[in-house]
Amino acid sequence: MNKPKIVGDTMTVPSDQEFLADVDTFLEATLRGFGADESVIADIAISVSELVNNAILHGNKAIPDKIVTIKLKRENNAVCISIADEGTGFDPSEVDDPLDDNNLLKEVGRGIFIVKSLMDSVDVQATNNGTTIVIKKAI
Amino acid sequence: MRLSDREQDGVVILQPKGKIMGGPDATLLHDKLYEYIDQGKKNVVVDLAGVDWMNSTGLGILISGFTTLRNNDGILKLANVTDKIQSLLTITKLVSVFEAHDSIEEAIASFND
Repeated sequence: MNKPKIVGDTMTVPSDQEFLADVDTFLEATLRGFGADESVIADIAISVSELVNNAILHGNKAIPDKIVTIKLKRENNAVCISIADEGTGFDPSEVDDPLDDNNLLKEVGRGIFIVKSLMDSVDVQATNNGTTIVIKKAI
Repeated sequence: MRLSDREQDGVVILQPKGKIMGGPDATLLHDKLYEYIDQGKKNVVVDLAGVDWMNSTGLGILISGFTTLRNNDGILKLANVTDKIQSLLTITKLVSVFEAHDSIEEAIASFND
């Protein structure tokens, strides 16, 4: 069975939600090493969990052989994180507005909205070979 | 995430601890909640004091329980909402959906109001 792998500040995980906790452990340890405070770490951890969930379920369709890659990079006083899947491209603009009264009680569809609310910037690069989302947050 | 559950004064109290991020942990909370709903329990309090953070998966489980209970003349209330989760409820406007209390005891007493 495929297992998560860590090389430097990069982690690759098979498309199985079982590994979400491993991603969080790697992420939070790395962010503490960067000197981020706990509130910022929580905001980033929430955002990364949303994006990794999306990458596993919507990007890679939970096919275990498809990999999600998480890369962390310190950029001056900020952290830059990319989450890449091997799917066929995901367009966040296709998601309904979760604040619309008609959507308020929907059980899904808030992930990207939460990420945009918590992060300083969110950049989506969708191609036929996968989607890479890059988030930045001051630390 | 770990989960404990009990009943007090006819109210089901669920106490998740840790992080609710999706996958097996989130399934645990969902399944326990629906175990009680399937037993016909109508009054549920989710104590969030021990939850470091949750993402949209956790919010989705709370909404699912809330709507299912409401459709069966029940209600799901929150207790001890932490600052981090309160912030999430605010930005998602779900603060207008959930009734929240400062303690489990206050939440339990509110069912008699």
